Amino acid sequence: MLTRAFTLLFLTLIAVPAFAQSTPTLTIYTHPSFAADWGPGPAVKDAFEKTCDCQVRYVVLSSGGDILQRLRLEGKSTQADLVLGLDTGTMENSRQTGLLGHHETDLSALDLPINWQDPVFVPYDWGYFAFVYDTEQLPNPPESLDALIAAPDDLKIIIQDPRTSTPGLGLLLWMRHVYGDQASAMWQQLKDKILTTTKSWSDGYYSLFMSGEAPLILSYSTSPAYHMAVDNTDRYQAVAFEEGHYLQVEVAALVQSSDHKELARDFLEFMLTPDFQRHIPLKNVMYPATDLGDELPEVFSHLIQPSEARYFDPKTVTDNRRQWLNEWLDAMTR
Amino acid sequence: MLEVKNLVFAYSGQTDPWSFQFAAAPGQCIAIHGASGSGKSTLLNLLAGFLEPRSGDILWQQESLRNCPPWHRPMTSVFQEHNLFEHLNVETNIGLGIHPGLKLTPQDRQAIREALQSVGLEGFSKRLPGDLSGGQRQRVALLRAILRRQPILLLDEPLTGLDREARDTLRQLLLEQKAKGVLMVLASHDEDDRRILADSTYNL
Amino acid sequence: MKLRPTAPFSHPAWRLLPGLGIASALLLLATAGLGALLWEASLPDVSQLWGSRYLRTVITFTVWQAFLSVLLSLLVAVPVARMLARQPAFPGRGGLLRLMELSLVLPSIVAVSGLVSVYGRQGWFTGIASDWLNVSWNIYGINGIVLAHVFFNAPLAARILLQAIESAPASQRRAAAQLGLGRWWYWRAVEWPAVRPVLPGLAALVFTLCFTSFAIVMTLGGGPSATTIEVAIYQALRFEFDGSQAALLAVVQLLICGFLWWLAARYGLTASLLPDRRVASHSSRAGRSFWSRLTDGLALGVFALFLVMPLAAILLRGLPGMGSAFFPQGSFSVNPALLDATLRSLAIALPAGLMSVGAALLILASGTATSRSTIRRVTDVTAYLPLMIPPLVLGTGLFLLFRPSLGNSSEGLVLVTLINAMMALPFVLQMLRGPLGRLDSASRQQADQLGILGWYRWRWLHWPRMRRPLALSMAYGTGLSLGDFGVIALFGSPGQPTLPVLLYQQLGSYRVDAAAATGLWLVLLLLLLFSVFNLLGASRLSLRRTANSPRTVQEPEHA
Repeated sequence: MLTRAFTLLFLTLIAVPAFAQSTPTLTIYTHPSFAADWGPGPAVKDAFEKTCDCQVRYVVLSSGGDILQRLRLEGKSTQADLVLGLDTGTMENSRQTGLLGHHETDLSALDLPINWQDPVFVPYDWGYFAFVYDTEQLPNPPESLDALIAAPDDLKIIIQDPRTSTPGLGLLLWMRHVYGDQASAMWQQLKDKILTTTKSWSDGYYSLFMSGEAPLILSYSTSPAYHMAVDNTDRYQAVAFEEGHYLQVEVAALVQSSDHKELARDFLEFMLTPDFQRHIPLKNVMYPATDLGDELPEVFSHLIQPSEARYFDPKTVTDNRRQWLNEWLDAMTR
Repeated sequence: MLEVKNLVFAYSGQTDPWSFQFAAAPGQCIAIHGASGSGKSTLLNLLAGFLEPRSGDILWQQESLRNCPPWHRPMTSVFQEHNLFEHLNVETNIGLGIHPGLKLTPQDRQAIREALQSVGLEGFSKRLPGDLSGGQRQRVALLRAILRRQPILLLDEPLTGLDREARDTLRQLLLEQKAKGVLMVLASHDEDDRRILADSTYNL
Repeated sequence: MKLRPTAPFSHPAWRLLPGLGIASALLLLATAGLGALLWEASLPDVSQLWGSRYLRTVITFTVWQAFLSVLLSLLVAVPVARMLARQPAFPGRGGLLRLMELSLVLPSIVAVSGLVSVYGRQGWFTGIASDWLNVSWNIYGINGIVLAHVFFNAPLAARILLQAIESAPASQRRAAAQLGLGRWWYWRAVEWPAVRPVLPGLAALVFTLCFTSFAIVMTLGGGPSATTIEVAIYQALRFEFDGSQAALLAVVQLLICGFLWWLAARYGLTASLLPDRRVASHSSRAGRSFWSRLTDGLALGVFALFLVMPLAAILLRGLPGMGSAFFPQGSFSVNPALLDATLRSLAIALPAGLMSVGAALLILASGTATSRSTIRRVTDVTAYLPLMIPPLVLGTGLFLLFRPSLGNSSEGLVLVTLINAMMALPFVLQMLRGPLGRLDSASRQQADQLGILGWYRWRWLHWPRMRRPLALSMAYGTGLSLGDFGVIALFGSPGQPTLPVLLYQQLGSYRVDAAAATGLWLVLLLLLLFSVFNLLGASRLSLRRTANSPRTVQEPEHA
């Protein structure tokens, strides 16, 4: 068993440079849920390799923030040809590194709730942040942010920390978009209903929400799709808030210093084809970035349809994040 | 010839340092005599190299041992107790005296067996020191010192606290060694020990 | 004069230099990592430390929760260790020890899910307590943080304390038994002298662990008012790209924890030891009466329950997914993903464990090779640096330093192994320090005279006494690396995951059952690991014990 383990390790070490000799390798920095065995990563890799006479290699970093961080640290010497898994929260900072190049991709196939014309970032999926509730514990959840804030304090919710998590930041922006300068006051009212503020979505969802610690958790509007399609349960549902929902778009971009820019551009174009997009709904549990027509799984028609997509343009987010975060901290610790 | 010349030592905080001076020849036993606290054990530890003197010298066959580490000095110590490695069995304890890495020849092992037999410890070779009586432990310690075949034996109350029978066996062993030309430095409270074993006395 | 054989590696430099080398490398690594970060960023504005209300609260809270956690952990650990020491025949004692070893190395997300199922709002225990005892509590807040920290650290502390008490010189224990000392005097005469030398280091270890705690504090803390310095560092580095603030906070953390280690190194570890004569173990009179057996049994039972309940929750949660985790789609081929992840984890963890044990031995050896206490203390404190410097800061600094050559994934795994070894070093050091330093002066003098030096001394004097501690520290070193997620996440992994990475992948994509099963599998694997190493450590000893039954006979009185 030990021998096998070492052989495996050895192969892992040797295999990568060996491939580099024969065919070009497209190195993609991405996050774990994309590259997982059951995620879209492996299927996408197979599909793309059929068209390109190349190898796709994923380097898995723990989150979108880590991808950006790694990129900044490595600078021009990065081995990444492409980054996949940034989102509207980390986009602007990534652009400011000056390390990413223009995609020159035709974006007309995009099917997003907002108009997308960015020269650097190509969206590959999107979704809304939403509160998911346990129908067995909470048959009648509040149906708006107002109602949530006004609810009695024995209604407990789990959120994520905007300092460490993407949905956490999403809620911060959501509140800001809805309430503007009143956001801090609203947070103070919401404060006593917050059971806890977890580091990551996983901590909250797995350790607390699925253990029934609170009936309501900040998550994605698409979360129920997985439970319905794969777990065959409709116990967990998202609740549509009257004020509308904050939008998250996940994007990819090519790295300026890459030796395989053409290949990277090919991949970005491939990203907007059905061969890529069909793996998104159930494997990434998000909306596909293009219209899949009949291929969109049936469960997606049972998801909430927000009345309005709340969205700050990425530059506004970057310019104000620190300020908003400090106000949030202030409101929450007062 | 073992010569101790103006060997001066003081523990930190001790105002009045000790000074030692004596000489002894191979095949002789010199008894160190003095009240407790007069520096008997200190002298033996200085000889063994466990303590560092302030000044003076120790000569063996006209060569200075002053800068010699304990493992290069031609002597073996036997104390009143704690002479053995408690986690190792009797045979290993003795064997480590013959070779510090226990690389023993069949002859060495034979010698250990015979030595144990000669002091009535046959069949004890696999025992741990903790399972032996005080007299038995001292016999093992002495056997190790003897099988190590060093020209000098440093004996610090080696027989104190043992019963009559054990004392007699051990004294016999020591006399045999003396007859073979081993030089012995003996610190003992016991009048009989000094009378039977020692040829001369050094008073502190 | 017969020419005596010299032992291999007997020159004092062999003892001093390798350990000193490792310590210097650690020091260099830490300074370089931190320095690179500072170099890249502008000089930090130190005044924000007292100027910013936020940073002030963060630092105070961090210290406060760590202090409480240490206090409670030790308050639990000391009695538990004493009871375990005086009840050597307690049924299930071995099992309890394995559980105690396990809790520290559990990945925090798995442990927290277990704790929440028991003590959370919907937990079993909370239910029982409020129904029967009419007691209610809220786990979210400082209570939960301290509870989790006690769960992680009290067993570790008790385990190390037990090792210390059990190695109290048998002569002392015998004397105490003959005098028929009661509990208090037995503590004063035997247990306290054995515990005292390890206590300062232990307190510093637990303090540092709680001080740098991150995910647990956030999950159970209830909100941003429970923020540790590590969180603030993460925020500064990941979200604000403010290297100078991160470095500043890292330095604050380093100063606080480093100061404690310095104190521990100064005041601990000066035990005067007697040769450990091995005789039949004497249980103290204090542990023999029916009454004390009953109360000890009950108290240990409660402690065992405290550890077992969360683990049982993990078991119950993981079992349903276990079948499909091993036999996907009902097939009878073992699931290669889980198996490969397991093997990959072991391939990283076993060398990492081995390396950390080796490094710890060398560091400890160099401590005994010099009489200069400053060198010894610096070497000592340096070895704990990996605990005090946030891995994120170190990793970021090293990236800055070594780019572009770092981050190639082939080097990545080697690097992950090395860093895992480094992270385990403080724990391993803590386990080995006592046993290795336990050579009494009489044995040392004999060994010197007989020329048992260098390799021979290690082989004949240390190794036979250290099998058990070595096995335990090897288990900890390996276990810590096996459960590691932080380091591998920092350096990025190739597509093929290790077990914890697999777990996080599953968590990140709603595969709750699969994640629970992976978590359970990881727990079982760790349990297996600790059991195997325990057997390896004990086998020789028990063989000798059976071959050598007279050992259980009382030592003759005329000794």
